[in-house]
Amino acid sequence: MSLTDTSGASRPLVADDSVIRPKRGVERLLAGNAWLVFAFLYLPILLLFVLSFNDNRVVGVWTEPSLRWYRAMITDSAVLGALRNSIVVAFISTVVSTILGTAAGLSLERFRYRGQRTYDGLLYLPVIIPDVTMAVMMLLFFVQAFDLLGAMLGVSATFGIGTISLSHIAFNISFVAVVVRARIVGLDPSLEEAAADLYASRWQAFRRVTLPLIAPGVAGGALLALTLSLDEVVITSFVAGPGSTTLPVYVFGLVRRGVTPLINAVSVLMLVGSMLLVLASLLLSRQRNTT
Amino acid sequence: MDDHQLAGTLDAGPLAAKTPVLDTVTTEVAAVSGIEVDAPLPAVRLQGVTKRFPGGRNHDPVVAVDDLDLDIRDGEFFSLLGPSGCGKTTTLRMIAGFEYPSAGSLQIFGQEVGLEPPNKRPVNTVFQSYALFPHMTVAKNIAFGLEMQQLPVDEIDRRVAEVIELVQLQGREGRRPKQLSGGQQQRVALARALVNHPKVLLLDEPLGALDLKLRQAMQLELKRIQEQVGITFVYVTHDQEEALTMSDRIAVMDGGRLLQVGDPEEIYDRPRTRFVADFIGDTNLLIAEVLDADTARLYDGTVVRVPTGAPAGSTVTLAVRPEKLGLWHADAERDLRLDALTGTIRRVTFLGNAINYEVVAGERAPVELVVRQGNTPGIEHFADGERVRVRWLPGSVAVLED
Ligand SMILES: Nc1ncnc2c1ncn2[C@@H]1O[C@H](COP(=O)(O)OP(=O)(O)OP(=O)(O)O)[C@@H](O)[C@H]1O
Ligand SMILES: [Mg+2]
Repeated sequence: MSLTDTSGASRPLVADDSVIRPKRGVERLLAGNAWLVFAFLYLPILLLFVLSFNDNRVVGVWTEPSLRWYRAMITDSAVLGALRNSIVVAFISTVVSTILGTAAGLSLERFRYRGQRTYDGLLYLPVIIPDVTMAVMMLLFFVQAFDLLGAMLGVSATFGIGTISLSHIAFNISFVAVVVRARIVGLDPSLEEAAADLYASRWQAFRRVTLPLIAPGVAGGALLALTLSLDEVVITSFVAGPGSTTLPVYVFGLVRRGVTPLINAVSVLMLVGSMLLVLASLLLSRQRNTT
Repeated sequence: MDDHQLAGTLDAGPLAAKTPVLDTVTTEVAAVSGIEVDAPLPAVRLQGVTKRFPGGRNHDPVVAVDDLDLDIRDGEFFSLLGPSGCGKTTTLRMIAGFEYPSAGSLQIFGQEVGLEPPNKRPVNTVFQSYALFPHMTVAKNIAFGLEMQQLPVDEIDRRVAEVIELVQLQGREGRRPKQLSGGQQQRVALARALVNHPKVLLLDEPLGALDLKLRQAMQLELKRIQEQVGITFVYVTHDQEEALTMSDRIAVMDGGRLLQVGDPEEIYDRPRTRFVADFIGDTNLLIAEVLDADTARLYDGTVVRVPTGAPAGSTVTLAVRPEKLGLWHADAERDLRLDALTGTIRRVTFLGNAINYEVVAGERAPVELVVRQGNTPGIEHFADGERVRVRWLPGSVAVLED
C-alpha cells in the first residue's frame, strides 16, 4: 500500500488519490474485522449444527453422520414434555401479555389520568431489573400468595405451568407495551377523533381504526413476547414446580449432568425455532414499511 | 342595507335552493325551525363558553377560550378568524365534541350538546391534516360514517356515489389516501364529512396544506359546494383574505376572546377595535380629539367628519383604509363634500396593480398616511416630494373603541 501503486499514466489531473488511499486501508481493516466477527458468531453455530448429526455418544468425537440424536429427541418423553410445557407457557403468556401490554401502551399514550407518570416509569421496571432479582421476587410473591390462598379459602395451589405463565406474563407486558407504544406514537391522534366524529363508539373506533393501524406493532410485540418466553431460563427455573420444566430449563439441567449429543439436537431445534420467529418478525416489519 | 339583505336570505331560507343530495337534512331542519315562532334557531349557539387547559408555566390554567357568546345562523358560511393561538381550533373542537367546555352552554339547533361525546352530535369535521384512514380506500373512508350509523348497504352505496360526484372524485374510489394528491385528499375529507348530511360542518384550516393556486381553486370549490348543499359551515382560518372571500359572516378572535362579528364588508369597512382594523387588511390609524358628536380634530389641526360617539375633548383612534383615500394636487380647488389633509409625498411604491404613496402631513406633530391608488389607465401619478391633498368621503373613516 505504497503511494506509488496507482501513480501510473492514467493519473488524473486533480490529484486526490492521496485522500482516498488511506481510506482503503481502513476499509480493508473493517471488512476483515467484519469477517472475524462473523466467524466468531457463526462458527459455534455451525459446529453445533454439524455435531448434532454426529453418531457418536461422545460429543467431540466424529464418527459418521446420522439422525440418531434427533430420533432420540422425539422419542424422549422428558424432552417432549418440556417442549409441550414451553409451547403452552409461551402461548398463554403471549396472548395475555399482548392484550394487557397493548392496553397499557394505549392507556399511556391516549389518556390522561392521575398517577400516569408513575405508572409510566414503573411499567418498564421489568425490562431493567436483573432476571435473578425478578425470579426471587416472583418466587416470594407466589409463596406468600399461596399461603394467603390456603389460609383464606383453603385452596392449595402449587408451582407449575400456572406460575411459570404468570411470571412470563409479568415481564412480557413491559416488552409488548414498549413495542406497541412506539407504534401508537406515530399514529395521528386525529384519526381516532375522526372515527368518533363519524359516529363510531369508543370500541368501534378501536376495532376499525386504531387496531388495524397498530397491528404491526401488536404483532411485533407478540413475537417478541413469544421469543422471550421460549428462551427464558432464570425466572422459569425459580418458579417451575416438579415435573413442569420448560425446554430451555430442561437443557440447562442436562448440561449440568454432562453434555450429551442429545443436547445438540435439542439446541438446534430451539435455534431453528428462534430463527423462524425472527424471520417472521422481519417479514412483518417489511410489510409495515410497504403499506 | 346589509342587514336587510341578510334577513332576506334567512327568510327565504338557504334551504329553498337545494339539490336533492340533502333532502333529508332539509326537512329535518325545517321541522326544527318550525317550532320557533319568530327568529329561526341558530345552528350553533355558544353562551359564555370558556375553556381552560390545565398546566401553564406556573400551573395556572391556560384560558384558551374566554367567555364566548356566539350565534351561528342556519345555512351560513361562518368563519372564525384570528392569529395563531387565539383559540379558534379550541372553539371548533368544543363544537365537535373533542373538548368539553369548562363553563358555558353550547347548543346545536337548540339542543344542549356541551357534554355529549362527538359520535352523538349532528356535526362532522374536516381536519386540517385530513385524518383520512390510511388503511381504507377512498370509498371505504367516505362510507365509514354511514356504516357506523348502520344504514342499509344500498343507501350507503347511493350516498357515497352522490357525494363522490359532488366533490368530483369519480374513478378514484378504489385508491388509498396515499395514492392521492393533496387536493384530492382534501376532497375525500370533505366528502367523508358531507356524506353524513351533518347539520353543521366544521372545517379547521382545511386548505392550510395546499399551495397557493390550488388553495384559491379550492376556496371557490368549497364555496360552491356549501351553496349547493346549504349546510352551515364553520370555517377556521388565520388567513384574512380567505375569510373575506368565502364567508357570509366572520368572527374575529384574539386571546380567546371574540372581538367582532359581522359580514365581510362590516369587518373590513367598520372595524370596531384597533386589533380588527390591523389584522384585516392594511389600515391607517389616526389619533384625533373629539370636538362634538360629528367632528374630530387630527393632531395637525385638520377637522374631520366622523360619528365620534365619545364626549368632547376625549381622544379617539380613527381607522381608514389606504384605498379609500384619494390624492389630489395641493393647490387644486377643494371639494367640500370630502374631508382632506394636505401633506408631502415621502415615498412611492409601485405594487403592479396599485401604487402606494406615503404622505406626511403637519409639521410639529406629523400625521403619516398610506394612500393606495389603483394602477388604472388615465390616473394621475405623483412623485416623491410633491405637495398633495389627501381626500376621502367622510363615511369611509371608522372610529375605534380602543
Ligand atoms: N390540549 C391543550 N392543552 C393545553 N393548552 C392548549 C391545548 N390546546 C390548546 N391549548 C392552548 O390554547 C390556546 C389556543 O389554542 P388553539 O389551538 O385553539 O389556537 P388556534 O387559534 O387554533 O391557533 P392556530 O392558528 O395556531 O391553530 C393556545 O395558547 C394553546 O397553547
Ligand atoms: Mg388551530
